[in-house]
Amino acid sequence: MADRNPMSRGTAILALSAATFLVVAGGLALWLATRHAGEPVTEGAIRVTVNDRTCDPADLTVPAGQPTFLIHNGSNRTLEWEILDGVMVVAERENIVPGLDTTLSPRLKPGTYEITCGLLTNPRGTLTVTATAESEAARVKPELREFIGPLSEYRVYLSRRSSELVETTEALHDRIAAGDLEGAKEAWLAARQPWSQMAPIWPRIGDLTQRMDPLAAYLEQREEDPAFTGFHRIEYGLWEKGSTEGLQPLAQTLATDAETLKQRIREMQVAPEELAANASALAGRVADQLQGDHVSYAGADLAEYAADLDGAAKSALLIDPLVKDADAKVSEGLNAALTDARAALDGLKQGEAFPSWADLAEADRQKIGDAFRKVADAAAAYNPAIGLE
Amino acid sequence: MRILTLAAICGMLATPAAFADTTLDLVGPISDYKLYVSDKTDDLVGATEEFVAAVKGGDVEKAKELFAPTRQHYEAIEPIAELFSDLDVSIDSRADDYEQAEADPAFPGFHRIEYGLWEQNSTEGLEPVADKLLADVKELQGRIEGLTFPPEVVVGGAAALMDEVAATKISGEEDRYSHTDLWDFRANFDGARKIVELVRPLVTDEAFLTKVDGNFATIDTTLDKYKEGDGYVTYDKLTEDDRVALSAAVNALAEDLSTLRAQLGLG
Repeated sequence: MADRNPMSRGTAILALSAATFLVVAGGLALWLATRHAGEPVTEGAIRVTVNDRTCDPADLTVPAGQPTFLIHNGSNRTLEWEILDGVMVVAERENIVPGLDTTLSPRLKPGTYEITCGLLTNPRGTLTVTATAESEAARVKPELREFIGPLSEYRVYLSRRSSELVETTEALHDRIAAGDLEGAKEAWLAARQPWSQMAPIWPRIGDLTQRMDPLAAYLEQREEDPAFTGFHRIEYGLWEKGSTEGLQPLAQTLATDAETLKQRIREMQVAPEELAANASALAGRVADQLQGDHVSYAGADLAEYAADLDGAAKSALLIDPLVKDADAKVSEGLNAALTDARAALDGLKQGEAFPSWADLAEADRQKIGDAFRKVADAAAAYNPAIGLE
Repeated sequence: MRILTLAAICGMLATPAAFADTTLDLVGPISDYKLYVSDKTDDLVGATEEFVAAVKGGDVEKAKELFAPTRQHYEAIEPIAELFSDLDVSIDSRADDYEQAEADPAFPGFHRIEYGLWEQNSTEGLEPVADKLLADVKELQGRIEGLTFPPEVVVGGAAALMDEVAATKISGEEDRYSHTDLWDFRANFDGARKIVELVRPLVTDEAFLTKVDGNFATIDTTLDKYKEGDGYVTYDKLTEDDRVALSAAVNALAEDLSTLRAQLGLG
């Protein structure tokens, strides 16, 4: 908790400690205050006086950039001064001693902020930050540092999904080793979820997907091909052959590959432009798949497409705040396309579960395919909107 | 035309390509930090559930025992408390922030419960406060999950917290009823140090790192003298010399760590 009013703590301090300490603490507070106050006050600093009950002026307007505020404590309590964006503190200066000045030079984007004025119960003032030519340029082409947050979030997402993949593929291996056919089927379906959620970055791990996820349709001898390994080979065994026999080594390799994948993700660097581009490409792949000849042993395709959609949405929407700022229409386009695609999938559910792929009418396949195509197109508009190649 | 060209060249020099390359190097540390905070918040929810159960069950001794270790999970993530200032107020504000201090009905959170347990030696009237605390830490958990951490807040958070420890916490104001401040300090230092450790590979100023490491080491040595069981003795046991040593180290850290943002291109 930020210190909001240390001076009235005299009694607490006294109760705690010797008087000599008060001298130390007092000197320290003064030193800290002067340390900030000692910073040069530039010409054109915006002056704000915090009185006992209000800020003067209570409403400020400044151009975007890095303005300097000169805050004067005109109250009789030590205070802190904060600039808030919703619940988030954009910048603050703590421990401003009564009668003293301090400066603060935060980076501010256009928008409306609140400023604190002493006690928590005192009304807050407002700070309006207006656009400049420079802020307008940054709006349609954000600086590289603006992508650190979104890319970090994506790394967290991938890290969690890959941990889940390790756990679920281990569970799949255990069920197969135990000869538990029904348990293995359930574990297989569970493992496909994190795997599909990571689908936007599959192209980055081509060697692993080749072992973990090849389709028999693309192999010379189809299901009999020795290169037919991984998820679908296990799926083929569990559903088509109705047995766990011979699957244990395959499940072992799959689990080991999942471990490798997890490690790979720790090292993987995703570029800003990949977030939307990968999402768009994935949605396009799904749309293509829905049109083509499609072999599915488990019939669980719709649940996987729903997970694909989650993965695509997560990836692209991480830059949505930037896109929204630059071009609200483009942002609305993707959000609407995602909502429609989710609704199209959910509309097919029977109770809580998706129907089997085989039971799906051609018209419904078409509908889902169209919905994914729209997601692909809407996500493809993201990078150009914020000046990414 | 010539002037424009020159200006363009100067502009390019100001942001060399090498900087662009290292900017995104922060993605690793920031994401690892989020995972750290997320773990701590999960621990906080679990510990608060037990703490709140003790308070609501009227078990003063158990609640006192759980108070400091529960708070540690919160204090460890305090470098980024700026991201949820409303919850920080309802979880961890002090009586001074309220017009009628301890008697103010709006005084919430850990410190209101601390006041009841130590000053009044009772859990009477704490039930709604405890329920609200648990609801708040759960709300925090959910919010952390959906929050994109701004890198400048994370990197600046280490200095901001050390500044706060130096300016106010060092007086023993935070846990003024229980005097369990050393537990908080331990968690504050660990939380700030975590940030330093994560960005360490990106820091090129060796002298800076040596100095920061030295001050963290001084803090460790000083705090270690006051260990008792799984935690620490009460804050009034701290000798004047050790308080001064601690204060000097924290002040130096606050000063040094305040340069970290600029060092990492987040000025």
